[in-house]
Amino acid sequence: MGFQLTSKDYADYIRKTYELIYSKGDYITALDSATGDGDHWTNINMGFEKLVEVAEELEQKSVFEEFMQIGTIMMSVIGGSSGVLYGSAYLAAAKVLKEKESIGNEELCQVLDAMLQAIISRGNAQKGWKTMIDCLAPAVECYQACIAQGLDEKVTADQVKQAAIDGAESTRDMEAVRGRATYQANKGVGHLDPGAVTMSYQIATLMDFVKEHCE
Amino acid sequence: MKKIINEPTKVVSELLKGMELAHPELVYTEKLEVIARREKCNKVAVISGGGAGHEPAHAGYVGKGMLDAAISGNVFSSPSPDRIIEGIKQTDAGKGVLMVIKNYSGDIMNFGLAKDLAELEDIEVESVVVRDDVAVPDSTYSTGRRGIAGTVFVHKIAGAKAESGADLQEVKAAAEKAIANIRSMGMAMTPCILPAVGKPGFVLEENEIEIGMGIHGEPGVERTTVKTAKEVAKILLDKILVDYDFSNSEVALLVNGLGGTPLMELYILNKEVQELLAEQNIKVYKTLVGNYMTALDMSGCSITLMKLDDELKELLDAPCNTPGLTIN
Repeated sequence: MGFQLTSKDYADYIRKTYELIYSKGDYITALDSATGDGDHWTNINMGFEKLVEVAEELEQKSVFEEFMQIGTIMMSVIGGSSGVLYGSAYLAAAKVLKEKESIGNEELCQVLDAMLQAIISRGNAQKGWKTMIDCLAPAVECYQACIAQGLDEKVTADQVKQAAIDGAESTRDMEAVRGRATYQANKGVGHLDPGAVTMSYQIATLMDFVKEHCE
Repeated sequence: MKKIINEPTKVVSELLKGMELAHPELVYTEKLEVIARREKCNKVAVISGGGAGHEPAHAGYVGKGMLDAAISGNVFSSPSPDRIIEGIKQTDAGKGVLMVIKNYSGDIMNFGLAKDLAELEDIEVESVVVRDDVAVPDSTYSTGRRGIAGTVFVHKIAGAKAESGADLQEVKAAAEKAIANIRSMGMAMTPCILPAVGKPGFVLEENEIEIGMGIHGEPGVERTTVKTAKEVAKILLDKILVDYDFSNSEVALLVNGLGGTPLMELYILNKEVQELLAEQNIKVYKTLVGNYMTALDMSGCSITLMKLDDELKELLDAPCNTPGLTIN
């Protein structure tokens, strides 16, 4: 039982995520145009496109170096606020993977938690502010609870995926504390946060991928 | 959209290349969008940056007596940490680097991460954050007050202090003192057109102006009908003077254009501002009038006051030679 993701596996996961994000362009842009600048999908898609371009190079590295490079690329290619948040997340996650050969269940949970803490601290933001934190935080909490209960890794993956999807959905009823939506009369209430939705795509894809790799 | 450009995606690199060609004492690093002094100086380095579209800021303040490098992002978008790191490495002479950041969320995060990365490489980096805009407590892009045109004074003061041979903490303290004594307030009469978008981002009717609008077209405090220069001067100054006590002091005054306002109007505004200041017993020690921190082709203006003491006066008077500001 269990899984161990190698650099090659993580690069494959990046390829899968890119396909999903690419296919959701019109949907994400429409979500973002309703409350924001409308450039979230373009930026994040550009980031993943670049990652896929260098995926073969990423496969050759240790997981630590792979995460460092992903962080650096996301920072410079995505740009603006999303770029630095994703960049900080991957750099923080890289530290967890120092001197590791692969990513097992507990490491993956630590990776996601390190990402969450980095995004909270770099963005100076909290849960409930209608951001990607509202997707990532419940996923991490769920993951930690599953490990504490000693649940099977496939069951864990299903639960974490659902927590991420529910988390993104929960942004629909939240009022924006940051960003353009803050200036609207209804502060974006009724609209999903596009950053939370693209985060949920990443976690959902990751959890499906983990399930496929469970022995 | 009528603009003298080639492709919207190339405006930043082409503008900086053009700036380098006009000012051979500056060197431009392609793709990383850094403009730096060609000769590295043996002193504390002062760097700044932010989105493009605010010309002459920020690259225009690179030169003797002000910045050692400026790092540009895309239009109205913060530069990424890899660009900022390049600026830090190009200018650090082993005496540390002070980053002057305007209070916008993207800038705070990107410069913050660049600082962390620089420290991993044993480069000493400090930062100060300009929050001079009294218009609104928060903005679309910031938590707390925005940093706007007053940043030009901060570049001047920090640059002069660094040029005097002061250490990093002393340069930072001078910049902090300037920031504590600077207040600004602006207004807009027309929106600006981002090259990549091709049309205005918001609409102001023919007879409308917006008070307190930010330098990216973020919302201000109120929309009102067109006013006379005298009325505009009073609205903007009143808000500044309520916020900070400038009475019986000497100040530096910046009457700034947002890119689409003729100098004629800025000089008229300057006359009105100075008359109002005289009535309040506030003495103007030095005046700057012109386009110093713009918002592409937006028409509008901002007013900035910096309260002076002996140290700030001396640093303000120190010579500087940059594309955007020369003091002999």
